[in-house]
Amino acid sequence: MTGLSTWDQFWYYFAHNGFFVLQQFTRHFLISVYGVLFAAIVGIPLGILIARRKKLSDTVIGIANVIQTIPSLAMLSIIMLGLGLGVNTVIATVFLYSLLPIIKNTYAGMQGVDANVLDSGRGMGMTKFQILYLIELPLSFSVIMGGIRNALVIAIGITAIGAFVGAGGLGDIIIRGTNATNGGAIILAGALPTALMTIISDLLLGFIQRKLSPQTSD
Amino acid sequence: MSKYLKKIMLVFFLAICPMLLTSCGLPGVSGSDKNTIKIASQSSTESQIIANIVGQLINHELGYKISLVNNLGSSTVAHQAMLRHDADISATRYTGTDLTGVLQLSNIKDPAKASRLVKREFKQRYHQTWFPSYGFADTYAFMTTQAFAQKHQLNNISDLQKISSSLNAGVDTSWMNRKGDGYQDFTKYYGFSFGRVYPMQIGLVYDAVEAGKMETVLGYSTDGRIKSYHLKILKDDKRFFPPYNCSMVVNDSLLKKYPKLAPVLHRLDGKINLKTMQTLNYEVDNNLLEPSVVAQQFLEKHNYFKGDDN
Repeated sequence: MTGLSTWDQFWYYFAHNGFFVLQQFTRHFLISVYGVLFAAIVGIPLGILIARRKKLSDTVIGIANVIQTIPSLAMLSIIMLGLGLGVNTVIATVFLYSLLPIIKNTYAGMQGVDANVLDSGRGMGMTKFQILYLIELPLSFSVIMGGIRNALVIAIGITAIGAFVGAGGLGDIIIRGTNATNGGAIILAGALPTALMTIISDLLLGFIQRKLSPQTSD
Repeated sequence: MSKYLKKIMLVFFLAICPMLLTSCGLPGVSGSDKNTIKIASQSSTESQIIANIVGQLINHELGYKISLVNNLGSSTVAHQAMLRHDADISATRYTGTDLTGVLQLSNIKDPAKASRLVKREFKQRYHQTWFPSYGFADTYAFMTTQAFAQKHQLNNISDLQKISSSLNAGVDTSWMNRKGDGYQDFTKYYGFSFGRVYPMQIGLVYDAVEAGKMETVLGYSTDGRIKSYHLKILKDDKRFFPPYNCSMVVNDSLLKKYPKLAPVLHRLDGKINLKTMQTLNYEVDNNLLEPSVVAQQFLEKHNYFKGDDN
């Protein structure tokens, strides 16, 4: 092995452990997605609520901001005390970090809806729910999506650290690389797919965002 | 105002409850299911290989779901994980380490006595079963090149005495100042010291002795490079280093829950000797294979030790 360059070793590693890397890749991706999904379930209604009740917005966004300032390794350790080792701890951490971008963007998106459009909706006799579903959500969709994209990028990074609490994922491969005698290639084999995952999922969500945004005909 | 606070609380609870519930069985990220057997492994190569062997053996033979809790920092962390049932099997535990670490007892040099004591204490204090050793011990060992050993007829550590004053020895940095089994105690116990001692990072010693920079070095007995460089391990004839026989530890509650488990796990008793462990470590550290791949190859080669139930 010593005769090969790092790049050759990298390909050699993939040729021999491809299935394992794929497994960890899927696992890593799912952990991140679950965390963001739960954050969206909580964050989007919360964002809508604070857009309605402006007094609450400072408190809620303040709390989310504070959560964001805790270093991820510290957050993992704190949550580990409650949830123990394993996947759940990492999903909970990802959930907490994803709250801020999602809440903030939902709030901003709702704020950005043109008051005239809301007025005309009301003038047409729409109920509150109809206004929400037919006007506000479609118009703020791209901003909310932006928050989710942002959250997912952060989440994939945090999941890599989750390997320290035994959750697995691509971080596992990176840690092994640091332990091995000549692990440069192994570190790359963990780090490059992580970066690739971030880029691809961001592109994919961007594509969905464009497809689902209401089209204006100008 | 309180009406809205209630609403917020409601939203939170509605979202968090399913989260906590469903996270007990999210598809694709096995590991939190009640029926998954969780295996703890430390960050060393050896530990990860063994954990994969144990996991794949269980999965292949009994079909139980397996999840690895990987990269734990030390055996103390693994022990805590076992107590909390974050894991139910600890793949690699060493008698010497657990005797002084977890049990807080003084060290015992006799391997048989040490493993008997550890076995009994873990059963009584924690309701955990120490399995018989896999068949290897990972301990400090002095080693030289084959040529040097032949030239000076070295087999045991005490054979070094006659040439010790002219020797350059490379040792682990942390070994220099250790209490109990460090260099100070070593010189007293064996009655000789080396001409010069070079403390260095443990990973470098094998290359140092192979390249002839040192005549003898102190390394870990299971390292794969011992095999690839054909190094000669000198026998610890006066038994200075405490025994570090490697075994798995299993929570009794798990063995009770799955009565079929114990016979399958016992298939590994004494099946992995020092040479085998060195080879497996070498495959991972040097040949860039993943521990799970190495484990699978090992099990397939031995046909999952079928018929060795006892």
